[in-house]
Amino acid sequence: MTELVHTPLFGLILTLASYRMAIWIYGKAHSLPVLHPFLVASIPVIVVLPLVGLSYEEYRQQTEILSFLLGPATVALAWPLYRQLRTVRQVWRPVLITTLVGAALAAGISIGLAWWLGAPEPVVGSLAPKSITTPIAVEVVKSTDGFVSLAAGAVAITGIVGALLAGPVFRLLRVRDDRVRGFALGLVAHAIGTARAFEFGEKAGAFAGLALGLTGLVTALALPWLWPWIAGWLF
Amino acid sequence: MLDGLLILLLFQFLGEVVIHLTGLPLPAPVVGMVLLLLALMFNLPGGERIAEAAGALIRHISLLIFPLGVGIVLQWSRYQDYALALTVAVVLGTVIALVLVTLLLKWLMPAPPERPHD
Repeated sequence: MTELVHTPLFGLILTLASYRMAIWIYGKAHSLPVLHPFLVASIPVIVVLPLVGLSYEEYRQQTEILSFLLGPATVALAWPLYRQLRTVRQVWRPVLITTLVGAALAAGISIGLAWWLGAPEPVVGSLAPKSITTPIAVEVVKSTDGFVSLAAGAVAITGIVGALLAGPVFRLLRVRDDRVRGFALGLVAHAIGTARAFEFGEKAGAFAGLALGLTGLVTALALPWLWPWIAGWLF
Repeated sequence: MLDGLLILLLFQFLGEVVIHLTGLPLPAPVVGMVLLLLALMFNLPGGERIAEAAGALIRHISLLIFPLGVGIVLQWSRYQDYALALTVAVVLGTVIALVLVTLLLKWLMPAPPERPHD
């Protein structure tokens, strides 16, 4: 019986069933950020793997096909980006400046804090792409010599924290412009922030989607060149 | 769906070709994404066929990602020494970035043409 655990079917069924349950809970909870499927779907997997004696490395091999699809999923981001580029032509200048400065800030602040608190190079490198959408982040982290797991988790938690705090932050800073709300959410909190932005309205959602795409693009194009220089300077 | 997936895989492969030929230190899927974006802006014939496949992949991105994320818990011994640095960098870093980016946008964004609904 135990050898049945060591087929890809086991890992895939466990993964899909956990995700299905997580989606159901997320829907029931009206998309509450703390119950994001990324977190909820992880729980059954984290409990079951040690129980049946399956190592994390073997589980990763069993679910290889899902990781492979992250490639085409990244390419697919061109579609929403293309659609949203057309809707925001009038404000391309603030959008472009904020993307460049904001992407540098989001990455720089997390790099700086982690480094200051004594994290070693691969851990800091894993946090550098934390504000960009996960499929791009797990690609970029290969060029910053970070851990894929840590990057995926940091990205998810960044999204959740950003989505949870957006309401209070916007109230405190007296932001009523949906374009500002949406763009800030998408830039800092990627897809989870974009889902939150749609609750402010269609326009906020479109700006969030645009910010998500542009920030991912800018970070992915810049960080692989800059990282050796940053790492050489810090470590 | 099938056409869309084929186009996405072709562009990812094109990204691989570009990386292979130029030796650029960039992720191949990101290069594929840029090439597809350019193709769409220059009116790639049949471009709208991507919509279905792209939508399905993006909607279920969490399914593709969380098997990587569980590694944080299952390999915690690798990260536990840096728990404080990780928590502060991720949580506080996100708050600071959100505040700064919002202030920057408020300052740069021209007043909206119509009254914003609140």
